[in-house]
Amino acid sequence: MSRHIYIILLGLLTGLPLIVPAQKAMPLTNRELTIRFHHIAGNSALVFGDTVQTGPGEKITIEKFRYYVSSFSVKDENGKTYRLPAAYYLVDENEPASKTIVMKVPAEKITAIRFLLGVDSIRNVSGIQTGALDPLKGMFWTWNSGYIMAKLEGTCEGLAAAGQRFTYHIGGFRTGMNTLHEIEITIPSPRSVSVGLDINADILKWFSGKQDIRIKETPVCHSPGKLAVAIADNYSQMFSLKEVQQ
Amino acid sequence: MMRRKQLGVIAALCMAGIAWVSAENKIPKTHPVKFEVPKGWPAPVYDFSKNPLTEEGIELGRKLFYDTRLSKDGSFSCGSCHQQFGAFNTYDHNLSHGINNSQTTRNAPGLFNLAWQKEFMWDGGINHLDLQPLAPITAPDEMGENLENVIQKIKSDKEYNKMFKAAFGGDEINTQKLGKALSQFVLQLVSSNSKYDKVMRGEASFILPEQLGYDIFKKKCVSCHSEPMFTDYSYRNIGMKADPFLKDSGRMRITGSSGDSLKFKVPSLRNVALTFPYGHDGRFFSLLNVFDHYRKNMITEGTTDPLLKNKMPLSNFEIGQLTAFLYTLTDSSFIKNPRFGPPGTEYSGKPPVDIHQ
Repeated sequence: MSRHIYIILLGLLTGLPLIVPAQKAMPLTNRELTIRFHHIAGNSALVFGDTVQTGPGEKITIEKFRYYVSSFSVKDENGKTYRLPAAYYLVDENEPASKTIVMKVPAEKITAIRFLLGVDSIRNVSGIQTGALDPLKGMFWTWNSGYIMAKLEGTCEGLAAAGQRFTYHIGGFRTGMNTLHEIEITIPSPRSVSVGLDINADILKWFSGKQDIRIKETPVCHSPGKLAVAIADNYSQMFSLKEVQQ
Repeated sequence: MMRRKQLGVIAALCMAGIAWVSAENKIPKTHPVKFEVPKGWPAPVYDFSKNPLTEEGIELGRKLFYDTRLSKDGSFSCGSCHQQFGAFNTYDHNLSHGINNSQTTRNAPGLFNLAWQKEFMWDGGINHLDLQPLAPITAPDEMGENLENVIQKIKSDKEYNKMFKAAFGGDEINTQKLGKALSQFVLQLVSSNSKYDKVMRGEASFILPEQLGYDIFKKKCVSCHSEPMFTDYSYRNIGMKADPFLKDSGRMRITGSSGDSLKFKVPSLRNVALTFPYGHDGRFFSLLNVFDHYRKNMITEGTTDPLLKNKMPLSNFEIGQLTAFLYTLTDSSFIKNPRFGPPGTEYSGKPPVDIHQ
């Protein structure tokens, strides 16, 4: 008899990994939601190399723009929040395909979508990750372990630096240096089940908002700290809803 | 009836088990290796459950550790700056070197007992052992390579394809597997067989100067260099004047806090007779330089450790006895263990050619 119990226990233990992931899943349907990120500079689409003017009045061009989005959740019309399965996406202006994300969501009407702009602290302290989080994507500081949450690089007219180039690599997850931001995009009075969300990301928001950022004063941000936090506070406002497809 | 039902349940559960095992059948047959914790030592901080040690993983890590192709121009391996005969430090070099005649800003420390270490580098900037190798591989003044190229070079090597598959299964070779394999190798570097250890195990006894040195050590040094690791892994400013060219603020570089200015990780004193020069920038070429620093030359200001506010009085006699004790921390079996040398070579008894000369 006791041998039977042992075998049953063994079976249970072996079978467990099969069962656990199934329990984690939220009430999913086959319904897909497509999120498309549109990169803009003020009122026009972002075009690498085009000159635009920042809020504080500097003329800049952009050469690189990429950021992590992760930990998506959606809110239904009853105010209930559903966490979507953990996933990390690196959105890169240079990789058009990366700007479209398709995810499975619950069937209910969605009134808001939430996500982290950046990579949660756990992934910053758990060794080497794979996929979008592989350090070879160039979004990881090897000398000061942690993800670069967002990158913006380009040139600034009149900047006294090689090639007039500025580089903003924003990261930091420790207390006091945290650059993680939870973004919420509300969908005003959804008529029906939405199938697509078009979200704008405005690079000009990096330079104004909570604090004016003048590239000529701080052309380089390559480590966690005050400057990174200030820029992240600004860019946490860069997303806005462009269009809902229902 | 009861019995039949039970059998049915057992059968179903076994099927589930088999289904799971076969779904995971990409994991190859490996030979697990148990990590031995020396008697009386604390539990390791490395999470072995996330990276189970296997003979295959360790052998792969060893090959990677000694492979110069991990650097941009093929001139440097991990082992170039972490030399076994120096307890895996850069023997007799204040600052370690990199590609194109570059020089780093810090002294390469010995590598041992890494399973007990939570943070790496003199400033503790790296928070996981698996991540540690990525820093020297990519630093322009060290191996100067980018990770994409490293993975490409590995992928184009047949032997590596075989070894990665044998160690981790699947055909994919990625940064994570690279880091895990290197960890598996360096985790083997346990140094726990010095004369000091033998004395603690009751297998040997100190001669008089060693015993006197140990008594002085326990009075004056042990609060930072605590046993059995001979470091408490804290960050402290021991009054080393900032070098105007290196401009190294130490721990502050990571925390951004001025209170951490000029603080560096307390180094382990195991194998200390081999790991000269000393200090984060290798400015002390001998133990005597270090003792002189503590008793005479150190500066006390701002963030200097409170334990050293009055420097550390040491008599010549004490220095002599302390030196005798510190020599008992040399683990000769560790530096001669052929399992830690380059793959396929047995330890010759002679130091390898020093590429820096």
